[in-house]
Amino acid sequence: MLKRYDPFAVLALFAVPGAAATVFFYAPLERTMGVVQKIFYFHLGLAAAAFLSFFVACVAGILYLVKRQRAWDERGAAAVEIGVLFTTLVLLTGSIWGRPIWNTWWTWDPRLTTSLILWFIFAACLILRSAVEQEEKRAVFCAVMAIVGFVDVPVVFLSARLWRSIHPTVIRSEGIALEPAMLVTLAVSLTAMLILWAALFRLRCSLQRQENALLDLQQQLQR
Amino acid sequence: MSLVQQTLLLYRKDLRVEVRKKESLIAMAFFGALIMVILNLAAGLGGRIEAEPAAGILWVAILFSSVLGLGRVFAREKENGCVAALLVSPLSPGAIFAAKALVNFTLMSFSELVLVPVFFALFGTGLQPSPLILLVLLMLVNIGFSAAGTLLSALAAGTRRNEVLLPILLYPLCLPLVALAVKATGAAFAGRPVSAILDQLEPMAAFGLIYAAVGYLLFAHAVREV
Repeated sequence: MLKRYDPFAVLALFAVPGAAATVFFYAPLERTMGVVQKIFYFHLGLAAAAFLSFFVACVAGILYLVKRQRAWDERGAAAVEIGVLFTTLVLLTGSIWGRPIWNTWWTWDPRLTTSLILWFIFAACLILRSAVEQEEKRAVFCAVMAIVGFVDVPVVFLSARLWRSIHPTVIRSEGIALEPAMLVTLAVSLTAMLILWAALFRLRCSLQRQENALLDLQQQLQR
Repeated sequence: MSLVQQTLLLYRKDLRVEVRKKESLIAMAFFGALIMVILNLAAGLGGRIEAEPAAGILWVAILFSSVLGLGRVFAREKENGCVAALLVSPLSPGAIFAAKALVNFTLMSFSELVLVPVFFALFGTGLQPSPLILLVLLMLVNIGFSAAGTLLSALAAGTRRNEVLLPILLYPLCLPLVALAVKATGAAFAGRPVSAILDQLEPMAAFGLIYAAVGYLLFAHAVREV
């Protein structure tokens, strides 16, 4: 049942420090922003992983409602939790970068606003999960909320155009505006973040599975 | 019975309850008017308010008061185990969703009949909206808010913290809708033509359509667990 070491966790143990080393020792120093710019590599990786989480949560929600298998609820729960964690980190790393570069912790920019609204929606999912006791009801409600939250994304994105943008666009349709060495660093850190995501996701799922198994045992004992 | 007949039957039942007790509408109109007075403090006492902040005040008052009505629609059904009765009746869950959404839409529209005149009495100096544009904006927000709100109030009613949970779940989802509405209403208050706010009207209509469809599809799952 239980493996001692999750392969992704072991991989993440090397990938994340490896990415940090690449960021600090390999990537060149940006001319105007200096060392502050290095947070960008983590920021973008975290943002990609956060959006992946919300997508996975939505798919897991749909599959739970169709199949009614506990495993999909476990995956949905794990995805929402990690998504909220990663979005929090995206907002924090962005703020840390924005303070010296934009001279403000926060600005109502489309991307910042979109991330913040998504953070609120999926944090609400976590609150909903803690508010329901019965297992099946909780699973259905959280599945519905995850789907409802994800279908909001296009409208959030459209409405975000209302706010003026000062956010740098590194990845455009014409290509990526980065130095080759920076591009390599970005790829390394993006991969590391996705590995970390997979490791956390698998660990969280297995924890959820064990919690459920424990509840089952308790119920059997009470009978 | 066809879906439309089922929906109308339930809709009439809910409206009859509301007309006899009047618990939601009075509370909504009263609370909305109260919020406008409170927001007058936030906007600076006695000063004249610009078009866009004024639009913000109108929408905050409408949305905060509407959540009172939304919460009651399902709480009332739960009180005497009426949800179970609705589910064993030969009505389809889609009809229940449509009827409840229509009830919420009607409640919002009627409370706005009070709130919008109160708003113009308090803040209306210097605002020149075309009534038609304002009506379209009100209808679009009512559709979107009642579609999303009906689905989520079913979720909230299934938990033990109904009143607390509903706004927590609903407001983040409706943030983009409200932002679009404030922008468009601000432009309308400043006297700009429809072509200037078309960019905001389209996503607002999309919001209503998305949540009407999603609500119709997911409501059956949610209501069985209430």
